[in-house]
Amino acid sequence: MRLLACALLLSAAAIGQIDEAAILEGAGDNWLTYSGDYASLRHSSLDQINRDNVGSLVAKWVYHVPGARRLETTPLVYDGVMYLTNTNELHALDAGTGRRIWSYLAEAPRRAQNRGAALWGDAVFFLAADCHLVKLDRLTGALIWEREFASFEEGYYTSLAPLIVKGKVLVGTAGGGTGQRGFVAALSTDTGEELWRFWTVPAEGEPGSETWGGFPSKWGGAPTWTTGSYDPELNLIYWPTGNPWPDFYGGRRRGDNLYSNSVIALDADTGEMQWYFQFTPHDTHDWDANEQLVLIDREYKGAMRKLMLHADRNGFYYLLDRETGEYLQATRFVERLNWATGIDENGRPIEVPGLEPTPAGVRVCPSVRGATNWMSPSINPEIGLLYVVTLEMCETYTGSAKEPVPSSGFRGGGSRQIPSEPGQFYLRAVDSVTGEIRWEYKMTGPATMWAGTVSTAGDLVFTGDDDGALVALDARTGEALWHFSMGNTLYASPMTFTADGEQYVTIATATDVFTFGLFSD
Amino acid sequence: MGSILTSGSRHKVQTARLWILTVLTVVVCFAADYTPEAVEAGKAQFVDACSPCHGTNGEGGRGPSLVDGREVRRADDDQLFNSIQQGVPGADMPPFPFPNEQVWHLVAFVRSLSAPAVESKVEGDVVAGEALFFGAGGCVECHRIRGRGGLLGPDLSVIGSSRRIDQIREGLLDPNARITAGFEAATLDGNIRAVVKNHTNFSAQVFDSSGRLHLLRGKELDRLRFETKSWMPRDAATRLADDQVRDLVAFLSRQAAR
Repeated sequence: MRLLACALLLSAAAIGQIDEAAILEGAGDNWLTYSGDYASLRHSSLDQINRDNVGSLVAKWVYHVPGARRLETTPLVYDGVMYLTNTNELHALDAGTGRRIWSYLAEAPRRAQNRGAALWGDAVFFLAADCHLVKLDRLTGALIWEREFASFEEGYYTSLAPLIVKGKVLVGTAGGGTGQRGFVAALSTDTGEELWRFWTVPAEGEPGSETWGGFPSKWGGAPTWTTGSYDPELNLIYWPTGNPWPDFYGGRRRGDNLYSNSVIALDADTGEMQWYFQFTPHDTHDWDANEQLVLIDREYKGAMRKLMLHADRNGFYYLLDRETGEYLQATRFVERLNWATGIDENGRPIEVPGLEPTPAGVRVCPSVRGATNWMSPSINPEIGLLYVVTLEMCETYTGSAKEPVPSSGFRGGGSRQIPSEPGQFYLRAVDSVTGEIRWEYKMTGPATMWAGTVSTAGDLVFTGDDDGALVALDARTGEALWHFSMGNTLYASPMTFTADGEQYVTIATATDVFTFGLFSD
Repeated sequence: MGSILTSGSRHKVQTARLWILTVLTVVVCFAADYTPEAVEAGKAQFVDACSPCHGTNGEGGRGPSLVDGREVRRADDDQLFNSIQQGVPGADMPPFPFPNEQVWHLVAFVRSLSAPAVESKVEGDVVAGEALFFGAGGCVECHRIRGRGGLLGPDLSVIGSSRRIDQIREGLLDPNARITAGFEAATLDGNIRAVVKNHTNFSAQVFDSSGRLHLLRGKELDRLRFETKSWMPRDAATRLADDQVRDLVAFLSRQAAR
């Protein structure tokens, strides 16, 4: 029996390990990290499903997640096993059949949406809503440990898929809408010990604190509720930050409110900030900059540059030099945009006066959900197009100068829809360098979805649409080639992988995970 | 500046908190009391009033089980209190208009029936149980706790918060009474011990004794032969002394993630 035990442990150790090199290979047979790779391309090298045969795509299996109400998960796949999350739980499935292998339920006292897991070594990690990092044996689902990294009793919670870089699990928090000060923390994959932490709101006296007009840093918000990107050559982690608190009233936090609505570039070893860029200074419209940061090297004005692409909730598409943080250009990618006339040569918006939220309300575009949001974009590096789910919508914003009370749900105002101006979703293909919109796919539906995209080497882009369908489009022209209606609202982004030698495409609806493959007898 | 800076505003918040605390304290004074005395008092009342429908030990009968029934776990104390004192309209549960204190004792007892092991008092020696688990007891050869151990048995890292004490004891002494989902025993290819995580007539997901995952399809299912019993040894009752069983149960009952 003891020999058996030894054999078990040895063989478990010998099973393939997931490391940085594996993740750097990018999305192909496996999908190892939230955005498919460290650069957040969401582009797969798979081309078994392509423009010629996508019309014969059929549903292969559906996995119902018991009790699910709003699945936001991007599943991961490694070696034929799929890992997907719901609130406080992680499920491992046979990726070829959708049959459950194991599930783990964390005993958390709080619920929140969850966007996915992270793989490293022989473990799988995910975040319970009450800011506990959970490490499980990847094969069996056996608990290895749970570690708390923020107190839910202080109002923190979390919803993102962690990112693992150099043996560190990078985590962030939500809760900015109630004032909690955001941070990015690196926890050891071995022990869960916190190795470094970067606060997104500087403490009093630190550089940047002068941009808050004396507002207490403890309640500045700037949460970190989506997954960042990583450049191993530059040894930089890029993380987007959310809005300052109170969301809709800025009268008590006069200044730019660094580092809210920004991207911060952090040294992967120490967490020290190397540069930052703020998209929306002194935001009063809840336009978090938490949209994905896409890293790609392209020629720009005659020279190869290490670029960062970012379609922001504020309606502008930005190009930055990700080595230095230098602002290169910004172009608008929505028509309904009235808060700024453009972006100046320093990257600062040229704001239209009089559009701060007021007690009576003021019409501002984009809406509070933004021109886009955390629904993932994708890029086809060969074609050079970035695929961005876009919402054309305006809203009436209200502001309140009442005393802010942290952790009370107070947001300093709010927004309401304008009945005569319903929202309209599009998938837009943006030229990644010029910002020009090359084509767009107009969706039908009630403007209530949050689904993103995946690009493939089969010259396809898959997007969830506003009517509960997964749609395959020609990546070059935007022609709709295939669709499947799943009859439920979508809050998640699709991904693709292989199992049993066949390519599949998966997306979660609010309650179920659908997987599609080519028809075969 | 607002309430987060000014002393006056802070005072208001503190006053509000004090009120909330006061109100909560008042409620708690008249709410369920989970002391052993309250549970014992509730038990005596339960035998008289409730056992005819719910069973002597709450196992269920004409009425639902109070041991593993969802109704109890989902209900808060006030709901349980009202269900007892006022009955459940539309169901067979009649009202039991006892004085409030007696109803709270009943609530305490009913809660104790479904309490996870980690919240229950145990008799054994936790340290001795740990030594037994990872040593002479041989448990670790198939079970894991916090990453240590084998793969053929369920992970026991959170068994204390997911099972009652009686369930843990039953699992140890009578392992075939209830086989944990995902741990059905099978033999692969005629001689390899395995556990079946899931299966249909078309596919199966199987771990073998070397820790390898097999995702079987169609005809490959013929490689699998299901066993009638679990792989868990059935001789714990004779192999372990009574105090060893108590120690193991005590150790396992303390296994929780938080």
